[in-house]
Amino acid sequence: MERTSPSGGMSVDARVEGRDATLLAALRAGDEAAFAALVTRYHASLKRVARAYVSTDAVAEEVVQDTWMAAIRGLDRFEQRATIKTWLFRILTNQAKSRGMRERRTVPFASLAGADGEEPSVAPDRFQRDGDTWPGHWAIPPRPWQDPERRLASLEAREHLRAAIAALPPTQQAVLTLRDVEGLESEEVCGLLDLSAGNQRVILHRARARVRADLERYFEETA
Amino acid sequence: MSVDEVVCREFAELATEYLDGAMPDETLELVEEHLAMCDWCRDYLGQIETSARVVADAPQTAPPAPALEALVGAFRAHTTEDGPP
Repeated sequence: MERTSPSGGMSVDARVEGRDATLLAALRAGDEAAFAALVTRYHASLKRVARAYVSTDAVAEEVVQDTWMAAIRGLDRFEQRATIKTWLFRILTNQAKSRGMRERRTVPFASLAGADGEEPSVAPDRFQRDGDTWPGHWAIPPRPWQDPERRLASLEAREHLRAAIAALPPTQQAVLTLRDVEGLESEEVCGLLDLSAGNQRVILHRARARVRADLERYFEETA
Repeated sequence: MSVDEVVCREFAELATEYLDGAMPDETLELVEEHLAMCDWCRDYLGQIETSARVVADAPQTAPPAPALEALVGAFRAHTTEDGPP
């Protein structure tokens, strides 16, 4: 590897690359614990993305299973041009797309209408109306959140968060999972899901806005 | 969008575009003008950022045990078949 960061320190990319190289060596040496940990680590995210392409949870589960089978077969040929994470999601979206086609489902991200609708990010009655003093400005503004991380530390709160994500439409779950849960870059996500940057951002924003509204309710109920 | 200002209702839709640094300059200028004087939209923006951050902490569903076992079996079969001795 010749890649070093210009500053001389380890860049995030270099760290990920190092970790990937270690993991890859373990997998190629047949380390079953490393493989099981990898499967466990990515299961939920892979399944959420798969679910955007296929009709049921059970089929999404099969797509994830097929993804790992393909990953096992591809392990020897994998060159670290992408991260292991991106490689896995690439295999997954390919599997999910062909499965979705066999199910004769329409391409999930082809249009922003349909399941996602055109709903606003914040309920319209939270803003002043035409004829009010300040049309379009907050009528019921967001109340500041005190120490949200601490309040989300309990298992109960985190389960609530999981339910909020699970309640999102599948396309929103897929984009939110790749961007915010897995931390992939916008360009990578657009490539994986065949989305334009603009559409990807609209879907991501709707997802975040719903999670925000859900957390707002949760914080008010538990205050 | 109105020509010379961004109002709160519009900013509510633009927060992710703003955070992604993907705004055209003209819009960015209007958004920054708005944020400079609107505490509520800054709160809203902070809440969108928080939401984006905390979703990574949601508990992850584990794979079903039989599926995991089957995969580890397939992994073992593959690596003993053509892997290193």
